[in-house]
Amino acid sequence: MLKPGDTAPAFDLPCAIDGREGRLRLAQIDSDWVVLFFYPHDFSFVCPTEVVAFNKSRDAFAAERASIVAASVDDAATHVRWARELGGIGYPLLADAGGELARAYGVLDEREGLAMRATFILDAGRMIAYAVACPINIGRSVSETLRVVRALRSGRMCPADWQPDSPPPARSDTAG
Amino acid sequence: MAVFDSSDKKRVIERLSSIREVVFGMQDGILTTAGVLAGLSGAVSIHRQVVLAALASTAAGALSMGAGAYLGTRAETEVLSTELERTRERAAAEPYMLRERLLHELEHEGLSRESSYRVVQLLSSAPQALLSTAEVKMYGLSRQALGSAAVDGLTMGVAFLIGAVVPLLPFILVPSAGPSDYRGLIAAMATTALALFAIGYFQGWLAERRRRWLSGLHFLAVAMGAAVAGYLIGLAIAPLGGGGGSIPVAP
Repeated sequence: MLKPGDTAPAFDLPCAIDGREGRLRLAQIDSDWVVLFFYPHDFSFVCPTEVVAFNKSRDAFAAERASIVAASVDDAATHVRWARELGGIGYPLLADAGGELARAYGVLDEREGLAMRATFILDAGRMIAYAVACPINIGRSVSETLRVVRALRSGRMCPADWQPDSPPPARSDTAG
Repeated sequence: MAVFDSSDKKRVIERLSSIREVVFGMQDGILTTAGVLAGLSGAVSIHRQVVLAALASTAAGALSMGAGAYLGTRAETEVLSTELERTRERAAAEPYMLRERLLHELEHEGLSRESSYRVVQLLSSAPQALLSTAEVKMYGLSRQALGSAAVDGLTMGVAFLIGAVVPLLPFILVPSAGPSDYRGLIAAMATTALALFAIGYFQGWLAERRRRWLSGLHFLAVAMGAAVAGYLIGLAIAPLGGGGGSIPVAP
């Protein structure tokens, strides 16, 4: 799995966006930050909670100049039907059929042929700024991802449970 | 147009689930008693003693088989109930995981992922339907599989008794004139063979086999093989009893 400091592999993949099939390249995304999250499958019961939760927080991410992109091994047509099933998703769902992108990010479960639940935050230079993966049965916290984006944007030393309105850390807290 | 009534079929299948106890009990009752009669006829020369021993063996066998069936079903029911309870707890604690796993099972059985999702989604609107489907599909468990220990025990015991009567009755009704008079034993073996064939034939009928007589012959061959072996063992151990092939009896 890629780690902070690694160059984010580029992609040029079919996707579902605004209820139809399309195509998306990483280079087309002009936001300062990109939240790229992988999930195992469309038409499942844990994944939609995350997909929908990210969709609901789209404006909050946009306010931080961050775009959201999701990817799974399903094809674009399935993504379109899945997004419709969820009431519409306002960010691109990449069709990583074959799992090449997931493999490039080191998050493909080769045995199952599915992507792990992994989240990457890419900076303006499209380097990995943050990477996290969790077990297949545990949904991610969207608010935590948003908190990390805000922390990265702040450019500050952010202690545990940092929030944008947290007071600056004491001098002794900044080491390590 | 005739409509298939699944509830009728379900009742029939539930009744047929006792067939195991009936067939096993009768077969064992017939064979054990026939084996005792054959074995003792080889070792004991007094007809009344053979009958008494066979009666004692029948009583002990019926009680033992009934108790065995009762305890077996009870143990099975307890284990199954625990598993079902655990499934219920898991479903309450991890509803998403239950749905996800059921979806996976349906997909594994040939439904597309999308169709599986829709089926599980529909089932989710009725939690009991979701749970009972998950129990069957994910764990192979079913509440219908839970038998009644008392009924199974009673069925097995009574079936054993009925089976035991088959060789015993002709053996009692056709008394033996002496140690070399095997008329009673032959009558017992003949009715035994007929009854075993009938059970096999009945089993074939239940299974809707075309060649039911073959089921009858198969059942007869396996069962009679055991009886013949019993007789041969009786002959082999006869010298151990002393008295030239007869067991001394207390007055």
